[in-house]
Amino acid sequence: MSWDNELLERAHKIIELYPQKRSALGPLLYLAQEKDGFISDDSIVEISNLVDITEVQVKSVSSFYSMYKEEQTGTYLLSVCKSISCEINDSRSVINSVKEFTGLENYETDQDKLFTFEEVECIGACGGAPAVQVNYETVEGLTPEKTIEMCEWLKNDKPEIIVADQLQNKFGGTKSFDWAIEDNTGSAYTVPGFQNIGTAKEKDN
Amino acid sequence: MSDQININVNGSEIRTDSDQLIIEACEDSGIHIPRFCWHKRMDPVGMCRMCLVEIETPRGKALVPSCTTKVSEDLIVDTESEVVKKAQEGVLEFLLINHPLDCPVCDKAGECPLQDQTMAYGPGESRFVEDKRHFEKPIPISEIILLDRERCILCARCTRFSDEISGDPLIEFIQRGNKTQVNTFPDEPFRSYFSGNTVQICPVGALTSTSYRFKARPWDLKKVSSTSNCSSMGCSVELNVSQNKMLRILGEDNEFTNQGWLSDKGRYNFEYLHSENRILKPVLNNDSTNEISINESMELISNEISADDNSNISFIVGHNSTNEEYYALNNFVENLNKVNKDQNMNVYLSDDYLYEGFFQNNDLLGKVQDLDSVDTIILWAQDIKDNLPTLYLRIRQAVKNGKKLVIFGHTNTAMKELADSYFGQEIISKNLEFNVEISEIPNFNELINDKNVLAIIGKSSPIQNTNSISNLINYLDKNSNLKILNCFSKGNTFGALQNIDLVKGLNEFINEFDGSKNNIVFTIGSNPVNSSIHSNQIKDKLINANFVISLDLFKNETTELANIILPTTSFGEKEGTFTNLEMRTLKQNKILPTPGSVLNEWEYWSMMLNKIDIENNYESEFELNLQLCEEYLDKDNVPSFDNLNKPSNLDGVLNSKSINIEIQNVEPEKIEILFVNRLYGDSSTQINSPSISMLGAERFIEMNNDTFIKHNLSSYTVNLVQGVSTLQVKIKINNHLPNELIIAPLNRRGFRDIDTTKPYELIEVKNLEELSVN
Repeated sequence: MSWDNELLERAHKIIELYPQKRSALGPLLYLAQEKDGFISDDSIVEISNLVDITEVQVKSVSSFYSMYKEEQTGTYLLSVCKSISCEINDSRSVINSVKEFTGLENYETDQDKLFTFEEVECIGACGGAPAVQVNYETVEGLTPEKTIEMCEWLKNDKPEIIVADQLQNKFGGTKSFDWAIEDNTGSAYTVPGFQNIGTAKEKDN
Repeated sequence: MSDQININVNGSEIRTDSDQLIIEACEDSGIHIPRFCWHKRMDPVGMCRMCLVEIETPRGKALVPSCTTKVSEDLIVDTESEVVKKAQEGVLEFLLINHPLDCPVCDKAGECPLQDQTMAYGPGESRFVEDKRHFEKPIPISEIILLDRERCILCARCTRFSDEISGDPLIEFIQRGNKTQVNTFPDEPFRSYFSGNTVQICPVGALTSTSYRFKARPWDLKKVSSTSNCSSMGCSVELNVSQNKMLRILGEDNEFTNQGWLSDKGRYNFEYLHSENRILKPVLNNDSTNEISINESMELISNEISADDNSNISFIVGHNSTNEEYYALNNFVENLNKVNKDQNMNVYLSDDYLYEGFFQNNDLLGKVQDLDSVDTIILWAQDIKDNLPTLYLRIRQAVKNGKKLVIFGHTNTAMKELADSYFGQEIISKNLEFNVEISEIPNFNELINDKNVLAIIGKSSPIQNTNSISNLINYLDKNSNLKILNCFSKGNTFGALQNIDLVKGLNEFINEFDGSKNNIVFTIGSNPVNSSIHSNQIKDKLINANFVISLDLFKNETTELANIILPTTSFGEKEGTFTNLEMRTLKQNKILPTPGSVLNEWEYWSMMLNKIDIENNYESEFELNLQLCEEYLDKDNVPSFDNLNKPSNLDGVLNSKSINIEIQNVEPEKIEILFVNRLYGDSSTQINSPSISMLGAERFIEMNNDTFIKHNLSSYTVNLVQGVSTLQVKIKINNHLPNELIIAPLNRRGFRDIDTTKPYELIEVKNLEELSVN
């Protein structure tokens, strides 16, 4: 049993949300990723028992989607958009600045397990291009300089919870639109912060 | 029946069922549409795009995959237009982008749909100049299956088979896009009873089997249709032989039985035919150096039979003979009886506690096909998945099509997920008797009252008292429209029952054996010293017998005690008929020459009769077949060789003979351990087939978690101790089992010394040294 009781309890609560057990597969994989920073084989065995499908069926899903990581990620996952709107707004230099600061190529993780860098397809922030996600929390309107500043801040301060609003206020530029009310919840793992599966964390001010 | 409609294909009118797919409708009318992923026994998926055809739509002509598009009234289809041809060329060029051109070393070459269709529909040239995708060349995904991912064209036939048909999805697509590959989970090999089917349906050489790899070229193979004797389902198979060696068995699509599928045992249990351990000459006193001629051996046996007018002659017969051989044996017994009425002759089937079955009323006998038409399927029998694997697939399919499945007892736990009602320990006791009145079983009556019911009925375990089964059948007969499928699972059991006048079981042999008389025992293709739960008693009797003659393929525990061993022919080396569990008689064909001085069983009986100066009235299988056909109830459609060879009868002939078994019931005893047969065991044929010989090696017992805790166990390797015998076993947890009941495999080495009704102890193996000794 690689999952502790607390995680199992959360898993069972998620499974209850669906008419069929196997429908809970997606969120459960996020729990696995929250636990280890990637989808481990142990977790796959655990999930296959939880939702009554075979291990390889779980593996089939987890290996299909690129947001389920097959390898260990660093504390901060830097996803830089390379799709068309960002590209037009010079995301290439943002990408290069991250590469230069971290010394990482695409999909690599540094030795200290601090940063993982990846170039990703559209993250839905075209209006504020170029955009970056840190642990799936979006910041828009970045410049190469601001990006390096953000990386330095992550490296030095090592914030436990990443909150999109905070990143935007500190390092962002043009926003695509106003993001409604101020939001203090963010992500503490390399998993999107979802309230309903408990991967979102509230940050104390 | 669905409505008939007209469609127009390539300018000609076709009449077809309205719920068919275009590809099916065309196939039925003789128009071939190329395809890779579509298979008529599986759901369409539209994966390969090879079957694109052009149809008329309100918005003009359109290319659609014919395997996912249904026909509709007056649909106009073109399967040969320029657009279709261009599409087919494009699809093939695309599929070949990553396909290695290693046809010269590929087992599939010569019978490869990709190769054939590239020849027929391909563009001839490829524009692809880049590097092909590379994977590690064949990786073993189980003990018997290898996977070459480079050759795979991602048609999903194997993954769909394992998910839809066999229900054990242990292979799946991994990754995405250009990296997509079929694979297993790292520590979870493709250990399915049905894995061999994926090799057969793979349209390229991506999946291969260890037993056939690099053995032959398809164009060198000699082929013949036959019937498998792996189980009493009588699966239709094609035997492939090259240079007088059996190299492969393929499933043939028989609508009434296996529908093309085979279990891995039925598919891979053939290498023994060419094992160097086979006996090729008659052997005297189990001494290999003491080989004698057939004539000498006949002389010795007939002298022995004629010597004492008052002797007991027993025949213990196995399950792998043909109907003709059983008939010849019966004829031998009858003739001996005529000459000497004082000699006491009995035929025993090599089964513990055989029981009568339900043959009294022919109108009640069901068919396998009834699975598709009844409302409710009742199952109370031995483990179907292990003993009648292809019937298990049929039941799975029926359940998928909405039939209700009701399971009684503790042996079919593997099918619990499929069942609408599973009656476990609340209803059925450890002794396999009803705990409650049948009429009071919750939610049972509404599933059967006035419904069409097919009851698949047999003993769950040899020592089960059959009163409960009879009660259930009586109840069902009163309350429902009942059909019965008698579930004797081994080989040609039904052929033996049909063709031998009086059959008894091994326990009758033990009871009736009279040590004070002159005893002659024949064992015919059976190894009761190894296969019975009363092995030790049978061994004593055989040691006590004055003369033992074994007709067998291999030396085994029984032949060790024989005065004379006579080598016999095996599957593929003899012609005959086989009767399956629904009384369908099918043809077994000969394709291999008989090795050494091996003879058919019936030839021995015939020669022995001649030696004792009794005239016999047959000289070939053909004549035997004609004689046994006279006894069938329906005289108009007898399963004679001639009739079975007619194209319309290739799927077998349904016809019955009267079956009368009179056997005493087992006294109800307290069952502590429930013996079941597993698919893989230690039969001499299996251990002499190298590819599958190790699959039946693991020794394990099953129990539920409460029992495990109650025994105070902490490790899953224990010693099963009973009296003086100790057996190291692994424990598998199966929570569908009742408390305090252990299930043990009878056909694995070591288990026959266990008495299932006596108490036992489970003692943990703590010592490392003990662990390392197997």
